[in-house]
Parts: sequence; structure tokens; C-alpha cells
Amino acid sequence: MSTSAHGLGGLKYDPTKKARPPELNVFLALVIIVVAFEVLGRLLMGESFLFNTRENVSGLFNTARLSIIILQVATVGIIALGVTQVIITGGIDLSSGSIVGASAMVAMSFAQTAIVNGNPNPKAIFGDWAMDLPVILPILIGLSVGILTGLINGALIAYTKIPPFIATLGMMVSARGFARWWSNGNPVSFPTQGYNAIGSGMNPVIIFVGLAVLIHLLMTYTKYGKHSYAIGSNEQATRMSGINVDRHKVLVYVIASALASVAAVVVSSKGQTAQANMGVMYELDAIAMAVIGGVSLQGGRGSIIGTVIGALIFGVIISGFTFLKLDAYYQEMVKGAIIVGAVVLDQYRQQGRARV
Amino acid sequence: MKNTLMMAGFVALMGTSAMADGIGVSMALFDDNFLTVLRNGMDAKGKELGVSLQIEDAKNDVAKQLDQINNFIASGVSAIIVNPVDTSATQAMTDAAAAANIPLVFVNRQPINVDTLPDNQAFVASNEVDSGTLETIEVCHQLKAAGKDKASVYVMMGELSNQAAVQRTADIHDVMAAGKCEVELTIIDEQTANWSRDQAQSLMTNWLSSGTPFDGVIANNDEMAIGAIQALKAAGVDMATVVIGGVDATQDALAAMQAGDQDVTVFQDAAGQGAGALEAAIKLSKGEAVEQKVYIPFQLVTAANVADFLTKN
Repeated sequence: MSTSAHGLGGLKYDPTKKARPPELNVFLALVIIVVAFEVLGRLLMGESFLFNTRENVSGLFNTARLSIIILQVATVGIIALGVTQVIITGGIDLSSGSIVGASAMVAMSFAQTAIVNGNPNPKAIFGDWAMDLPVILPILIGLSVGILTGLINGALIAYTKIPPFIATLGMMVSARGFARWWSNGNPVSFPTQGYNAIGSGMNPVIIFVGLAVLIHLLMTYTKYGKHSYAIGSNEQATRMSGINVDRHKVLVYVIASALASVAAVVVSSKGQTAQANMGVMYELDAIAMAVIGGVSLQGGRGSIIGTVIGALIFGVIISGFTFLKLDAYYQEMVKGAIIVGAVVLDQYRQQGRARV
Repeated sequence: MKNTLMMAGFVALMGTSAMADGIGVSMALFDDNFLTVLRNGMDAKGKELGVSLQIEDAKNDVAKQLDQINNFIASGVSAIIVNPVDTSATQAMTDAAAAANIPLVFVNRQPINVDTLPDNQAFVASNEVDSGTLETIEVCHQLKAAGKDKASVYVMMGELSNQAAVQRTADIHDVMAAGKCEVELTIIDEQTANWSRDQAQSLMTNWLSSGTPFDGVIANNDEMAIGAIQALKAAGVDMATVVIGGVDATQDALAAMQAGDQDVTVFQDAAGQGAGALEAAIKLSKGEAVEQKVYIPFQLVTAANVADFLTKN
């Protein structure tokens, strides 16, 4: 795969060699799914999925639905950005969901407010000194949890040469254990107004889109991005050409874990609570978003744009199922089938292109 | 001489590790808010009575839980308390404890063999049927009090594989079917939010996007009720116009209730269950008889009595 997709050694990513950007196919899949929900909605429910059919609201589109489609995937989407660059280097990160739990617990402990409805905070973790701190502190502390776990992940993978699957699996278990230990399994709640504001309204989407643009630029226009694709395509050749692969890998995992911490701050602020089981399965949803978006698990191929569209497909599916009032028992079965179906289609398309 | 010294050493070791009056506890999952309160209640009662507890986490793994119980039996504890991971896998635990003649108490989750437990085994919990029933009847009552004769609600379910979620959802339908609801109740849609606040926010916002008018939300737990409230407030819905019900009476829910956002919750006395299970285990270990089904009652919480519960969970 790696040689056919990127030519000699895959060191140079040459956009002109592509007849049609793979993102376009993913986008077409998104359009097809949206149209399917629209048609099914009109046939089964007599309602529109995308367009506004309510008299008391003005506007062409159902903006409430459009915004929830993005909002509900923004948190996992932030993680998926980090996971995408990990997968592009040929690695995998299973620890992001647990890092969300650990970072959320730690960050929220420094974001609490002293008085709740006139009573002292019933969920206080520390004493009065940790109450009502400026909002930047919990954010930085939360981020530092991610950076630290990322350093451990990256160092294990780069210097002990154990497979990323095992290193991040270990972190997945340990970070979840840490999250539970932090407050003996108790939830941490009642944050300050300032902390609440981070994840309120459409802020998670703004953060997601902002970070997506940033990481996209990083992956397409900088040496960091070029090296990531190079390592994923052919690690040996990259090493031979004098690139410090080990140091680069550490950086890749640090960025991935830091993004998981950002997601932790967003999700704990949005829900105004941190719980030890926060983020369970997020890592798999994030990997699924990337893979649906055309990121190859073999490394060296994929893009942030693809992952963002993959995230949108996820959002459309969740909203579409609720819109159709599909029985809850069927939803997960269908969701799994769609994930696999999307990758099968992508694989088929790849083979088709290889023959040309 | 050397042998006698070693023997003495072993005896001394056994004296500390055999836990002559120790009680082994296997919890289904440490990582669960409600079970944590239960565990802490048990721990506090143990300290109060001077009984040493060895509490282990089965991490939602049936096999691991059975191993833990067999380890307790092997180390000769005086009684075992189990919070079952899977309520249909309890017969093996009953058999293992009965074979070793060690008393066993199931706590919080009703074992499938609850009616055939041997004499030195018991079950301590709240009657799960009550929670959803109390919640639904009170939601109906508040809808009626708001001057409605017909009302439509959304139902948020917990994890679909979970007995409490299935039971509490069935309770809603049972209350409606039995005519115990004061208003004519219609369920617009019922979906799962997996007990999670975040998923409940998304689910509620998705429902709101369809624009269907509704009068309330009945959630299987408080976390989801709070998620619904956060979504409704974000959409600018006046919380006085809707009735929101949950179960658990968590601190977060009580705060939401004081703020006038949540209207109904049901208090399950987690700490009481933990303490009750420990008391039953101690009695059984002394050979005293206990009721085989000890029910710690659920209590309805509304804005009127919310202050009484602030310090309980």
C-alpha cells in the first residue's frame, strides 16, 4: 500500500499526482448519508432533516439540527485531530479516552467554586485555596496532564521500541486508574462561571474548528507535517535521510495527548462536571472518525480535512437516528455497519486507483 | 528449634492476615458514583463498629468477581458482601460460599436466585420497581398541578443492558397503563443516553431540533436529567414550563433542584444500603438470623423537601 500510494519511498507528498482528492469521496459519502436521511424523513416522518418546516421559526435550514450535528462531535473531533497525525506516522493512540478522564478530573479540581446555592461546595476536592481560581490555571493544569502522559507514551514508543498499540494500551489502563484514584471515584462538580464559559454554546465547535485549521496547516505546510507523512510511509528511509525519527515521534504523541486534554477541558466545562468514567470509548470513536475520513491505518495517508468530514458523518448519523426515532436497540448495530461500510468502500476505491 | 521459630513466625503472620473478624467485599465497579457512596457508607459503618473490611473492585468482570469471592473464602473471612456485576451469575457465588459455610450478603443488585438463598445468605437493596414508579407518578402530579390534562414527554434511558434502566423505563409504562398518572401522558420518543450527562445534552438538543412541543423529560437517572436541563437552558427554554425528573438525588441534581431547574428525583439510600449490608453480614457471621430480603426504602425528593437530602449522599 505504502509504495503504491506515494511513489518512491513516500518521502515527498505530491498533491499533483492525485486525480481526485480522497477527501472528495468522503464528502460524497457525507452528502449521500444526509440525502438518505432527508428522503427517509420525508417518506417516514413527513418532516425534513435539514430544512426548516416549522412555522414559528424563520430561515431556510433547521439551524438547531445543523448546530447539534457539529456540536455533539466537537469534543471527540478534537481528539480525532491528534489521533489522525498519530495514525499518519503509522502509530495508534488508544489512551486518549482515558487521558480525557484523567485530565478532566485534575482540571476540574482546580476550577471549583466555593459556594453553591449559598452552601459550601459539596464536591470540594481541595481546601479553600483551590476555590475560584482564575480560569487559566485549571486549563494549564489539565493540559500539563496531557503533555506528561504524551511524553510517557512517546518516550516508550520511540526509545524502548515497544509497539504503539501496547504503549498506549498501558496508558489507557493507567490513566483511567489515575482518574478513579484522584477522588476515590467521586465526581468533581460545580465549577466557576469562567470555567463554565469555555464549553458553553457553540464554543466547543469554535475550538474544534480552530484547532482543525491549526493542525491542518501544521500537517500540510510545515516540516513537522512532511516528516510525519514520511515516517508513516517508510520509517527506515526517513531515518536514513537523517531525520530524528525518535524525537519526532515523542512530539507526535505529546500533541495527541495535549489535544485529548483540550477535549477534557471542553467536555468537563460543557457538562459542568468531571467524572472518572468520562471519555470511555472516545479513543475508538476518534479512530473511527479518522478512518472513515480516509486516514490509512498503515500510515502515510490521510488528512485533517478527511477526519473533520469523518466527524461530520458521525454527527449526521447520531442526529439522523434520533430524527427518525429509530429504536435505541438498533442504533449501535447500524452505526457499526456504517463504520465498516465506509472503510470497505474506501478500500475498494484505493484498489481501483492502484490498477490505474 | 529453627522449625519451631518458623512455625511461630507463620502463626504470627496468620494471626494478622487470616482476618478472624474480617469481612470481604467485592464491588461490581469502583468507578461508579452511586456505588462509591455505597462503598463509603459501608466503610464508615465498618470503622464505627471496628470491623476490618477488605474491599475489592471486580471492574465489571463476572469472572474476576468470582475469583475474588473464592480468594475471600480461601483466606477464611467471616462473611462476604457482594455487589454483583451480573445479577444472573450469582448462583455460582451462592454455591461457593455455601460450600465453605461462610455467610454471604448481596447488596444493591438483586441476584437471580434471591428466592432460593440458603439461610446464611441475604439480599440488601432498595426495591428497584419503586424508583421509576415514584418518579413517574410525581412528574404526572406536577404536570397536573401546572394545569395540564394531556401531556407529552421524552424518556431518556440508561444503558440498555442495565437492569435498572430497563426496570425504570418499564415503570413509566406501567404507571401509564395502570392509570396511576393524573394526566393523559404520551411518550414522544424514548432513547438511550447511556447514563451520561454529555450524551443527554446531545440527545435533548437533537429532540429540540425537531420542534415537537413537549411538557417534560423523564430520565432514568439524574446525570441525564441534568444533561437535558443544560441543553434546554442553552436553547433558551423556560425551565418553569417543563417538568424534569431523574433518579438518584445526586449532589448535582439537588443543586439543580434548588436552582429551580430539576423538579423530581428519587433518593436511593446508597450509604444506608452499604451500612445495612454490613450489619446483616455481621449478624450472619455471629449465627444470628436476619430477614433474607432487607429493603431500604426509596424516598421522593421535590423542591419541598430537597433541603433534607443535601447532606445524605
